[in-house]
Amino acid sequence: MQEKPDAADLLATARDVVLQDLLPALPPDKAIAARMVAAAIALALRQATAPPMAEADLAALAAAIRAGRHDPGTESHAQVAAFLRDYARARAAVSAPKALG
Amino acid sequence: MDEAALRGWLAQAAGDDALRITALTRLSGGAIQQNWALDVEVAGTKRRWVLRTDAPAVLAVSHTRPQEFALLRAAREASVTVPQPLFLCEDLSVIGRPFFVMARVEGVAAPHRAVKDPTLGGGRQACVAALGRELARIHSIRPPRADLAFLGEPPPDAARAAIAGLRARLDAAGTPRPVLEWGLRALERKAPAPVPPVLCHNDFRTGNVMLDAQGVAAVLDWEFAGWGDPHADLGWFCAKCWRFGQVAQEAGGIGPREAFLAGYGQPVDAARLPWWELLATIRWAVIAADQAARHLSGQERSLELALTGHMVPELEWDVLAMAEAL
Repeated sequence: MQEKPDAADLLATARDVVLQDLLPALPPDKAIAARMVAAAIALALRQATAPPMAEADLAALAAAIRAGRHDPGTESHAQVAAFLRDYARARAAVSAPKALG
Repeated sequence: MDEAALRGWLAQAAGDDALRITALTRLSGGAIQQNWALDVEVAGTKRRWVLRTDAPAVLAVSHTRPQEFALLRAAREASVTVPQPLFLCEDLSVIGRPFFVMARVEGVAAPHRAVKDPTLGGGRQACVAALGRELARIHSIRPPRADLAFLGEPPPDAARAAIAGLRARLDAAGTPRPVLEWGLRALERKAPAPVPPVLCHNDFRTGNVMLDAQGVAAVLDWEFAGWGDPHADLGWFCAKCWRFGQVAQEAGGIGPREAFLAGYGQPVDAARLPWWELLATIRWAVIAADQAARHLSGQERSLELALTGHMVPELEWDVLAMAEAL
């Protein structure tokens, strides 16, 4: 067993230091950099704890969509639309959870 | 920068042998171009100028400085609020790269301030109306124009050309993006009929216009301008991804869409805008992914570029909803 605290705890704690200890002490022109560091830590934390994504041949799917093989009216349309919603939701849950409302 | 060589060239261009450079400082921002604040005394008068030149790593898709200078001149003739273009230098022996000099305009070009500070732009409604007017003036520039010959022939169908261009960029990047493909295919099925081409700014959004307390101080960043469909600029400005969090203010996060279109004044088929807003969202996603690729490839390691890549999933989430509603 690895020693604790684990990665998630360390990242969350490091983020608090950036925002609460460092940011107020920084000159204004470095505030954006500190906020970006905090955002990157939060994102890495979400990615580290996100459920694994389902395997899919995305290149083949992208090509089929472009060729119109999943257009409205095709048999596969609803199924592909549902897959893309799940896929996009899983990606946004890590990169931009606020966008999901 | 060789200040003596620059002074000599400016003295000749301005017709004053005694021209003095009193300050020359690099301005922040501009990954593609470098801007320098240039203060001079010419014919006994203090002038505040900007020197604009290429950054060492030039992006191939952007216009050259001489081309941007020609666009600024054309825009100024069409009464667009732009910094007055003054001198163009294509002689590489002066500072090593082509550059031009324009008047320095004071104002705010920071999107997060522009959407939150109601004192900027002369009032919210007035500001978006003024921005609409600026866009109408830009769109009054029509081909053919000998001075803008570098823009090439207008695309016969700007909508389909835009789809093809984004697909080519996705292919060049090599990462499969089925959600963006889904949006592009929806656009392709519902592509609008072509309209007569106009000059499009192609990056007209909050952040690329400088505002002051009175209104619009300058329309900036002409490097992507080209012939196209005027609705492309209207859709780019109104797209949700350029509202900087103020989603209810549909015109650039600043004010209402109706006031913006009223300021634009030309007959606008508002029903065409959702199509171009979806295109705008996909285009920004493609650009964001390309920016992250510069970080990932090691070409330019940067936390800002890395985080820009993580904007793509939010844009994709919007693309699905917009494609559904199209």
